[in-house]
Amino acid sequence: MISTPKFAYKPNEHEAEKASYSYLMSLIAVIVGLPIPIINLFATFFFYLANRNGTYYVRWHATQALLSQLSLVFINSYGFWWTVSIIFGDESVSNHYISYLFVVIIFNFTEFIATIYSSIQTRKGKHIHWWLYGDVTDIICKPGNGQNSI
Amino acid sequence: MDKIVFRLIGIVSLFSISLWAANQMNWMELFGVEENISSTEQKVGELLWEFYSANNTEVTKDDLLLPIDSILTKICESNSIERDEIKLHLINNDEVNAFALPNNHLVIYSGLLVAVKNEAELSGVIGHEIAHLQMDHVMKKLVKEIGLAVIITMTSGNGNSQVLLESIKTLTSSAYDRSLEEEADFKSVDYLIKADIDPTAFANFLYTLGGNNPDAEELMSWVSTHPYSKERAEEIVNYSQKKNYKAKQVLDSATWHILKKEAERL
Repeated sequence: MISTPKFAYKPNEHEAEKASYSYLMSLIAVIVGLPIPIINLFATFFFYLANRNGTYYVRWHATQALLSQLSLVFINSYGFWWTVSIIFGDESVSNHYISYLFVVIIFNFTEFIATIYSSIQTRKGKHIHWWLYGDVTDIICKPGNGQNSI
Repeated sequence: MDKIVFRLIGIVSLFSISLWAANQMNWMELFGVEENISSTEQKVGELLWEFYSANNTEVTKDDLLLPIDSILTKICESNSIERDEIKLHLINNDEVNAFALPNNHLVIYSGLLVAVKNEAELSGVIGHEIAHLQMDHVMKKLVKEIGLAVIITMTSGNGNSQVLLESIKTLTSSAYDRSLEEEADFKSVDYLIKADIDPTAFANFLYTLGGNNPDAEELMSWVSTHPYSKERAEEIVNYSQKKNYKAKQVLDSATWHILKKEAERL
């Protein structure tokens, strides 16, 4: 699910630190934002906005971090509103609901671990390429835009 | 691009398969969800009833209780509802009111017995309150108005009398959401039809309440807790017209007259 292909260039210390922050942002936001699922998306989005003109390495990882949050937001939001409708609306706790929560927790936990791993590896200057999100990031993020280290 | 679509399908499939696999587990049994909900409702119901009955006078006269019990039993038996689970209480109070409390407490005020014109009207109100109980509206309303945290605190023995008073007030003198009221109305019509009781009498009763008789307004609590009475009466009539039913009497006329007379005497 996660690979470490060779990047277009070797990022410097400052870039590696910044790229690492893009993953760290979502981790901090998860702690602050739980159980509101949109907070971590906002955090990575603002980090992405702040670094969209940064170097290719920083931009690439800020984009991947943002994309990785996007899909979780959908499944988390669905779970969040389902919970709200159970507490305040007409829904009641069912086997489907608990199954959904269980899967959501597994996916969130997997993403959480992958984010910690990515943050550590990018800090070391390694290029972490996630399954699917890395491919989409390759299409969105081109080396030509913004400040480029090469 | 093909690779991305393939991987997207892969992730969606992984999520769907995980969901399907998780759904094979009986989580409700594993976590004892049903038992927990029912035990919480039981505790809340008993606490509220204990508090409520300490401040109100319950009528225990057979002439009044037995006919109401006959109507309740008829509705329950015709609709496969466990009669023994419903605890019927008649309260000596002039207000035209009836309400449901958690843990299947069905409370009727003597004022309602005076206000209804016939047993079918009374059956409609009873059916409506049974529907609230059966469709879990009572706990939902309490959770919505009071909050889950307060209810859990209450059941753990840390609730104070102010919380209990607030809960009682919510259940006895504030309306359910209109959608819940309508749901209970239609369910009541279904109950009545299965029990061979005329459902349009319930509509008539609501229509009368909707008329807001100024002299009796302050007595008609059921109007304030059951708003939009006129509109709902029309909806009940429309709904009933689509159904086939044969109206029969549950009580003989002598029993009904004694009930009315005794209720007026209270």
